[in-house]
Amino acid sequence: MRVWFAILALLTATPVFADVTAVATVDQRRIGFGDSFTYTITINGASGGLQAPNIPPVDGLQFQGPSVSTSMSWVNGQSSQAVNLTYRVTPTRLGQFTIPAAEVTVAGKTLRTEPITIAVEKNAAASTLADGLFARIQFDNQPLYLGQTAPLNIVLFVRGDVPLQGLNGFQAQADGLNYKFLDKVKQGTQVISGQNFSVLLIDGAITPTQVGKQPFGPVVIKCQLRTPKRGGNDFFDQFFNRIEVREVPLTVDPITIDVLPLPDAGRPAEFAGAVGQWKLDVTAKPTEVAIGDPITLTIRISGTGNIDLVTPPKLTGLDEFKTYDPTTKTSKNELNTAGERVIQQVLVPKSTAVKQLPEIRLSYFDPVTKTYTNAVAPPINLTVKTGTGGQSTVISAGLRVRPEEKLGQDIVYLKGDRGPAAAAVPFCATPVFWVLNFAPVVALLGGLGWKRRTDRLRGDVAYARRSRAARGARKLLATATTPDAIQQALQHYLGDRLNIPSAGITAAVAEERQLPGAVREIFEACDAARFAGMAADVAALKQRVEQVIDELETATL
Amino acid sequence: MNWKPLLCSLLIAVPTLADEFKSANALYDAGKFAEAAAAYAQLTPKSAHIYFNLGNAWFRQDKPGLALLNYERARRLAPRDPDILANLKFAQQRLGVDEVNTPAKPVVRFFRNAARSRTLAEWARYEVSALWVTLLAVAGCIWRPKWRTGFVVVAVAAALGWTAATVALVNEVTAAPEAIVLTAKAEARFAPLADATVRFTAVEGTRVAIHEDRGQWLLVERADGQQGWVPADAVTRIKE
Repeated sequence: MRVWFAILALLTATPVFADVTAVATVDQRRIGFGDSFTYTITINGASGGLQAPNIPPVDGLQFQGPSVSTSMSWVNGQSSQAVNLTYRVTPTRLGQFTIPAAEVTVAGKTLRTEPITIAVEKNAAASTLADGLFARIQFDNQPLYLGQTAPLNIVLFVRGDVPLQGLNGFQAQADGLNYKFLDKVKQGTQVISGQNFSVLLIDGAITPTQVGKQPFGPVVIKCQLRTPKRGGNDFFDQFFNRIEVREVPLTVDPITIDVLPLPDAGRPAEFAGAVGQWKLDVTAKPTEVAIGDPITLTIRISGTGNIDLVTPPKLTGLDEFKTYDPTTKTSKNELNTAGERVIQQVLVPKSTAVKQLPEIRLSYFDPVTKTYTNAVAPPINLTVKTGTGGQSTVISAGLRVRPEEKLGQDIVYLKGDRGPAAAAVPFCATPVFWVLNFAPVVALLGGLGWKRRTDRLRGDVAYARRSRAARGARKLLATATTPDAIQQALQHYLGDRLNIPSAGITAAVAEERQLPGAVREIFEACDAARFAGMAADVAALKQRVEQVIDELETATL
Repeated sequence: MNWKPLLCSLLIAVPTLADEFKSANALYDAGKFAEAAAAYAQLTPKSAHIYFNLGNAWFRQDKPGLALLNYERARRLAPRDPDILANLKFAQQRLGVDEVNTPAKPVVRFFRNAARSRTLAEWARYEVSALWVTLLAVAGCIWRPKWRTGFVVVAVAAALGWTAATVALVNEVTAAPEAIVLTAKAEARFAPLADATVRFTAVEGTRVAIHEDRGQWLLVERADGQQGWVPADAVTRIKE
């Protein structure tokens, strides 16, 4: 609601025009019960300072809304604006109603609408179907007693040509009665005046809660009818199965039920409100027990009537028993016209003087015989012996009685074997403990280093060549027997070390790269031996190459 | 030379450790509790069962303080043995020190009980195992990235276990040595002087932690945190 008035405030944020009027209208003045109509307050010429209208409550009408709309028109060059506040109104009973004048405040000025009278009748739409779709309340017109449960059914007759799709619930007025209907509908057929009718039977039951003449109804059944789509073509609608489901309320005439009070005459003192025909069945197990042993007393009340009104009979004469809280289980049929209540009571005899369980009575009012009746369970003989004592006994599910027992206390007896000897040195003080602690750390760190190196060797070619340069060169050098092979070994080393092609490395390149002078000298000595045929000391050359490699390994190139 | 007869005669002649233990038990069964206690005390190496039986022998001589001391020693070796725990509790109840020896704060009580539920060796084994599992799971994350999620879960769980085990281990190793008051009443004073003001009186069976050792005097702390100086001969250390 706040949102709508916030919208209103926004819509009406412009200046107020002169000649502001408020008019109330309804879309129909005669409606069928079960239908609703719209009530609209139109404020013409106002567009600012509008406050929520004040509609006095009307007994029998429910207002929902408002929904807000605005309209604007231009007449002779002048604009006029109208604000419409629309309510959906649903009658809750038949009759004639007057919606009194509503007050609307616009910019501090109070406007009043005219009162509107409408009539709510039996549903007009349903009346057109009255011959083919009608319903009756099926009830035996006998007076009921307060608390008595009686069947009350609704029978719906549907002629063969009435396109009934289904039912969408119903509403009934019944202030002094509790009623319940089954969701499941029984179906049959019947011929009325030579025409076939489907008969739908809705089983139900009522229980009066107030004395006097109590009306039941009117009952409005929401029938869903299949109808062709509005505004369409009959031929195409049928061909394409274009139909819509329309909800038509079907009103059933009310009936009056005479509810009698329960008679005072002959009312037993122990009567607690049970109405119906009830049967009492009492059993006790076991019947031969020792003192302190439990006896489970089962009281079963079953019959017809409202089981919710049946209270468990009061147990008396149980002074010689220790009693526990009873457990109760209730089951009933869907309409609550019959049921069963089972009460289980645990009793523990206190002495051997107990000879029997006392008689149990249930008083109820029988609406058939119109008298109070007592259902009586005779006493049950018991044999109680002296208790054995000192034993725990299970009384019922989850309930355990343990006799109090004083247990002796002392130290536990000796151990029969020596058991494992204590270690002279605790494990955490042994070298094994520290090795086991450090070994995985060292292994993991080593593994990480190795992984890092292998990853780099795999991805960094220069690093890979540089790493294996000395090893590869020394391998070649070891097998070199000529100056040419020695030169190749040196070229191989320098190529890997500098990450350049080995074949192109000469004395000039060595000078250009500012390598140590020994490198150039080795190249020149090898060249002299190869091309000038000069004698060369191979061993000395190899040694110099070794020295150069050692020197370059630690140098930054 | 046939060694078998000689070996057999030696085995028969030298009483085994099991025989000595049974002999001590026989003395106990005969009601000779003092002799049984002496026999148990001579047995080496000690075990939880020997301390337990020794505690029983002292208890039967109406020396619940000494019994409690030996039950404590037995508990240190077998902290979850129900017999030892039962007798320990019973001895404390007999001496009326059950409450005095229990920390008042529930948090302290919980962690103390948790730490004492395992032996030092057990905590050390847990610590090593958890460390290995943690590092293997870390290695798995690195070398088997396909199963990283599973390895991470294992690594986190194992790391938590390692932390708990390490804390318990360090706590046990670094904790102040404990002792049991064996005199009927030991007066704990504000200073290590015979005429110093008495702060509290520890009854027989009270468990104390020794924070400082000055020869004749020990600075001890009761379970409730109260500290005081007691004569060294009033208490006996649990750890031999």
